[in-house]
Amino acid sequence: MEAKIVQFAVRDNNNLFKLELYRTLLHFTEFDFTYFWERCIDAGRSAKKTGRLPQNTVANAKNVISGVHPYVEALINSDFSEIVTDCIIEYICHSERIGFEELWVRCISPKNLYEEAIFSRISQYKVGKAVNQWENIVRLQEYARNKLAFIYDCDGENVPQEEAVLRTRKEYFDLAYSMAANELGIDGEKLPSVKVSSPSLAPNATFMNAKVSKAIYRRFAEALRLGGDMSVPASKNCGLIKDRLAMDAYAYVRGMKRPAEIDMRFALEAFAGEAEEIYLPDSFKAVIDLEFDLIMKNGIVLRRCEDCGRYFAAYDDGFLCNRVNSSGMTCRQQFETLKAAIAEAAEAERESNEAAAEEDRDKKQDTVPPELEKRGQKIYNALYKRVGKAMDEKEFREWSRYLSDMKRNIKTGEATTDQLAEFLDYSDRLCEEVKSAVKSKSPKKPEFRYPEEPSEHTEQPQRQEQPERIVFADEDPEMAHIHVPVEDESVPLPEIIKAASGAEVEVKPFRPETFDSAADAFIAGAFAAAEEKTKKKPAEIKTPQWTRLTREEAYGRREDGE
Amino acid sequence: MNFINEAAAVNGLADYIIKCGVCLYNSVKYIYSLAENDFYNVNIKDVLKIMLNNMPDTDPIKTLGLRIDDYTCREMQSEEYNRVLPLMVFSLAVRIPVLKNVKNGEDSMTDDQLYRLYTAVIDKGAENYRDIITESFLETKYLVRKGKKLPPFTADWYKSYIYSSVPALSEITNKNMFLLGFVDVLFAMFYSCVEDGLSRKVLEYAAGEGTVPDENKE
Repeated sequence: MEAKIVQFAVRDNNNLFKLELYRTLLHFTEFDFTYFWERCIDAGRSAKKTGRLPQNTVANAKNVISGVHPYVEALINSDFSEIVTDCIIEYICHSERIGFEELWVRCISPKNLYEEAIFSRISQYKVGKAVNQWENIVRLQEYARNKLAFIYDCDGENVPQEEAVLRTRKEYFDLAYSMAANELGIDGEKLPSVKVSSPSLAPNATFMNAKVSKAIYRRFAEALRLGGDMSVPASKNCGLIKDRLAMDAYAYVRGMKRPAEIDMRFALEAFAGEAEEIYLPDSFKAVIDLEFDLIMKNGIVLRRCEDCGRYFAAYDDGFLCNRVNSSGMTCRQQFETLKAAIAEAAEAERESNEAAAEEDRDKKQDTVPPELEKRGQKIYNALYKRVGKAMDEKEFREWSRYLSDMKRNIKTGEATTDQLAEFLDYSDRLCEEVKSAVKSKSPKKPEFRYPEEPSEHTEQPQRQEQPERIVFADEDPEMAHIHVPVEDESVPLPEIIKAASGAEVEVKPFRPETFDSAADAFIAGAFAAAEEKTKKKPAEIKTPQWTRLTREEAYGRREDGE
Repeated sequence: MNFINEAAAVNGLADYIIKCGVCLYNSVKYIYSLAENDFYNVNIKDVLKIMLNNMPDTDPIKTLGLRIDDYTCREMQSEEYNRVLPLMVFSLAVRIPVLKNVKNGEDSMTDDQLYRLYTAVIDKGAENYRDIITESFLETKYLVRKGKKLPPFTADWYKSYIYSSVPALSEITNKNMFLLGFVDVLFAMFYSCVEDGLSRKVLEYAAGEGTVPDENKE
């Protein structure tokens, strides 16, 4: 958004100067004087050696300082013409811890142009013909910064303030200053002020509109020449006689009629480019206060950027400026980028956490829980005792290998503890069956069978979810051979393992892990087991063959006939 | 006293006395101009400090913003007042015998040398207009020779002349009252500095250092 521009004039200068609302103020408050200060110190050191200020350095420093504010630029050849000397004086006094008075006495009999310049400048301070403009600029910058902060800074949280609140803050700040001045006995009329005027009523209006002025003068030249000199001494207090002076002057053009059309057109062209009103500040502080007032009047709200800490004109409720910073982006863009990056990072972290949690879970699953280990060992022991009785060795070895494979698969993450638990449940039932077979001393031994391969891979989870009912033959002989899924009758019935005992037990067979491909199976060690199976013949347990021996066969016959 | 170039020494000392007279004349004008616009801006103590430290140069007083133009010193723009300058120089010239007390070792200026200096100053324009100044060269010479104390260098003759010959300044106005008040202090302080300055000059000429005219020194 374009900044509103107002025009102001200064004394001893016939030009109008522009004040870009809020921009000029912010530029002034943020101006870095380091370079100017260094130039001045260089000039001072050089002058101490040569006896005169180096004009190039002085001109360079003045160029730098004139960029601080249009008011300084307007008066760089009058009020601020000695600002370099001012800076040097300030530096000497500060570094040598002396006052202006002492430095003045030191230079009272100047030996060179440098000392004369210092002496002359301090003399001006003493008689009130000048102030140390360097010190003045620095103090005014602090004043402007403080005023900005007082009006526009937020107390705690960044919340947009109402215009009435901002206005009240400004008035409060100004009133505090006025109160202090009043209490210290400073006359209000002697304090900085700004006059508003139309361009043609400004003090230098005659010279500002020189062409039109000349045209008018030509009309009244004769009368004005006869009018004589009505100038008033500068020391005379004209506060109460201004009207009289004005009417005395007006008397000479009282009979004026409108000029000819051509003259009027000429005047029209001359006035066309002029501002409707111009401001006439009488000091630097007055310009700064004027800008604050106009900012407020035009509804411009300044805020401090959350990111860079600099003030900016806000046109929404945001607290981020649109100034491009060292990153090549504006603070607002940078914030948006940062926000997106933070969200992305948070998402990545969440995913990472989830993955870590899953990994933990997997790790936990990778180890065989001790209770299952213990349970497996118990079953193993129970079955081992009955090898050769109700369970042959081959079957036991198969069962044992399956248990070992299951444990190994759990460790490699290819099987879960749930599957092991399921297998152990099955083994429990098997063990019971074996036990009961031993008790009944049946020649038939329980068979260990692998669970059948499911026809489809999708059946397995479905089967796991479905609770199954095991019907014992003892309980219900009619249903002993039936294994009924509770919900879905279409699921194929598991194979019934028939015990050799009279009480038939329907046991749900354990379903081993399935593999999608041969490679998976190979990795899982299934092939190794198969190979082992093919290579190694299962060890046959030979049942002892008992034969009755005769005494002679057992003890042998003696030679002596005994 | 032995001077390397006695004529140059006498001439240089005469010039110095003339310049001191001019300095006093201008200082009065500067201080008088102070009453025009800067009565509350300029501290008269600063004016006196500058004047006494830069004698016989009065230009540094301008740094205080004081100007001796036709407007601020309009009451002094008269033929009668212009006579004050030769009178001021004369008032200093009559005190030349005081230089007898300036010793370079055991050496001091002879009466002849002092008289030649006095004559040189008179020749350069010093004048006792209407015999306003009551002191004389011979009287001072006598007092010095006798070792008696000289009367103070006062502004009595100046005030007498103003009252009698310059009506514009004898009017009772704020400015004129200020003028007649500060001249008493100014004349007394000024003379002590002139004496010191002259003694220094005499010794410089005696040592052969003062041959270069003072105005070209810088």
